Amino acid sequence: MGAALRPVSAAARRGWWVPAATFALPLLASLWFALAGALDAGAWVRLVADPALPRALALSAGVGVAATVLSLAITLWLVTHLHGTAAWARIERTLGALLAVPHAAFAIGLALLLMPSGLLLRLAAPLAGWTSPPDVSTVHDPLGMALILGLVLKEVPFLLWNVAAQLRPVAQAAQLRQALLTGQAMGYSAASVWWRVLWPQLLPRLALPLLAVWAYGASVVDMALVLGPTNPPTLAQLAWSWLLDADAAVNAQGAAAALLLAGVVALGALMAVAAVRALRPLLRVRQVRGDRVASGGASRAVAAAVGSGALLYGLALALLAFVSVAGVWRFPALWPQVVSFDAWAGVAASLPVLGHTAGLALASAATGVLLAVAWMETTPAGWDERAAPLVFATMLVPGVMLVAGLYQLMLLLRLDGSLTGLWLAHSLFTAPYALVALAPAYRGFDARYEQTARALGRSRAAFLVRIKWPMLLAPLASAFAVGFAVSVAQYLSTQFVGAGRHATVTTEALTLASGGQRTLLAAYALLQALLPALVFGAAWWLGQRQARRLGLEAR
Amino acid sequence: MLELHGITLATPQRTLIGGLTATVGPGEVLVVMGESGSGKSSLLAFLCGALPAGLAASGSVRVDGREVTDLPTAQRRIGILFQDDLLFPHLSVLENLLFALPAGRDAERRSVAEAALASADLAGYGPRLPHTLSGGQRSRVSVLRALLAQPRALLLDEPFSRLDMALRQRFRAFVFERLRAQGVPAVLVTHDAHDVPPGARVIRLDDEEPAP
Repeated sequence: MGAALRPVSAAARRGWWVPAATFALPLLASLWFALAGALDAGAWVRLVADPALPRALALSAGVGVAATVLSLAITLWLVTHLHGTAAWARIERTLGALLAVPHAAFAIGLALLLMPSGLLLRLAAPLAGWTSPPDVSTVHDPLGMALILGLVLKEVPFLLWNVAAQLRPVAQAAQLRQALLTGQAMGYSAASVWWRVLWPQLLPRLALPLLAVWAYGASVVDMALVLGPTNPPTLAQLAWSWLLDADAAVNAQGAAAALLLAGVVALGALMAVAAVRALRPLLRVRQVRGDRVASGGASRAVAAAVGSGALLYGLALALLAFVSVAGVWRFPALWPQVVSFDAWAGVAASLPVLGHTAGLALASAATGVLLAVAWMETTPAGWDERAAPLVFATMLVPGVMLVAGLYQLMLLLRLDGSLTGLWLAHSLFTAPYALVALAPAYRGFDARYEQTARALGRSRAAFLVRIKWPMLLAPLASAFAVGFAVSVAQYLSTQFVGAGRHATVTTEALTLASGGQRTLLAAYALLQALLPALVFGAAWWLGQRQARRLGLEAR
Repeated sequence: MLELHGITLATPQRTLIGGLTATVGPGEVLVVMGESGSGKSSLLAFLCGALPAGLAASGSVRVDGREVTDLPTAQRRIGILFQDDLLFPHLSVLENLLFALPAGRDAERRSVAEAALASADLAGYGPRLPHTLSGGQRSRVSVLRALLAQPRALLLDEPFSRLDMALRQRFRAFVFERLRAQGVPAVLVTHDAHDVPPGARVIRLDDEEPAP
């Protein structure tokens, strides 16, 4: 009887390799193909000889380092001064919504705000006396400042969400409060306790999210196409343009550039680890020196920073809606001369694009959740840590490198350019996010419910379908929404694996980003942001309804 | 000397503590007992300046004649010990003690911390990380750390309740002996009558009058 009541049966455990292989084999094959494609001596010679390489490489590394360091510094500063306050509770509640905004849609909104004919310079025009857009590079600037700003505004909510996830469990929250009080009772200010005691314990647990921020910042393509430098562009943009070239030799050079980028990401991570190890003894001495420094009043600066960030976010998204109907809008007017819904008529006329986007996202989000559930039903919780390197590979390996390999795999399977190939490619990206989103609730499910159901004579399948999954409906719906958002945001894999045959709102928006149809660009970008928002809203509603039904509101 | 005067704590629904007045002399222990939810831990939170939102409070707290009621926790010089030892896991035992010691010359601070360890039969444990110590050893280090910060009063929030009976008895004796030796007044919150040191005054939050 004891064996029959175990949370995960021996029979089920034997099946662990099915979800593992379904996810890992295509991923490993893609990485292998990406490596193999880059092992062309001629391609490396051409890459090294390319005059744009040194500056593009420096830009990629510089943008990545700046975005990571600034995002981390802002996150540490905000949490140190806000955690435990009502403002922190409000911020924590909005993080999910901020994360659901696709990078490309946000970048387009930010570009509409910052560009020479954008809202900010229109507001400044009466003061500066401008009657036409000034000749300044406020986006696509040669140093990548606009791109860094966009990345920081997207990555700070991501890091805050990770910090909140670390501190949210009841035991962690109680221990944090008591540790803060213990340090303060010894005469340290709360900020001092954070810097000396709490961050040294928390930061190692943020290593993977930080690595993801660094990898994304150094290798981003979609945001860089909208905000990044153009002459030369970043190395990721160069690699992407070479991979799309019709000439196979140029493709090989792109594959080599993608591998070089992966090497830069890995080297950067190793250098950061080495720097932390070298600095640790010095920091330890500082932590226990015993000096009680009075904390300065940072509350105004924190409020100003949070307010500015929220304002930029709100304006960027509101501008998407506004510009999508701004038919004629001459500089420096603050209101368009002609309001037109032509762009939305254009969007409505291309319903297949919306259909592709939603269909692909629904299918790949469902696949991602299915794989995540299958993995967790067939493995003990401790195995998540073993799987972490593979799970995080899609977030840590530069996208240009991964999709180059993925394309080769799809060619081999004769799925290139097909919807099936796209569905498989998107699922490879949705599954890890679904697992990360679902694991805390799924792994934390009280095993005694299964023991009770089995003791009442119910089968495992009946327990899953009638007890466990209905009880976990809210986290399952959230994980589905996360997968949906990940799929909608896919640009590189959609373009490359789909061979340009299957347009989505994301590919349409990014194609329009390089042209002059501003209203249509804004409409597609808004649609890109609205689709995941709708699914997140539905998941939230479902979760609330289920919580009311189960009487779980207070938990 | 710790002086509590007219302390009243209330939730929006009811009064938890009404007008508590007591004086705790150097090395004395004032024991606060009561049912769960009677306001024992809220009283300690008020005394150290960390009253949770939703509780209203009035009254005053004086430490060595100095009014501290409106001071932030860091300026009150009132230490606190919880059920968990709360040693910082990333710092060695010695570094945990150095964290508590006031700033000064490095060699002097180290020798004070090492002497404290030796006085608690923990000589040689300084370089070890907290998780390598037994529960009883960690508890002793947490008391040493709280006292090395030179508090003018110490709050004890059920610090014995996690320990088994044999260890508990020894740890109680260790804590009360240290408090007497250093002349630190303390407020002990507990459920267990066995925790009450001989001769200590006890307040039951249902009657709020110090027993003689």
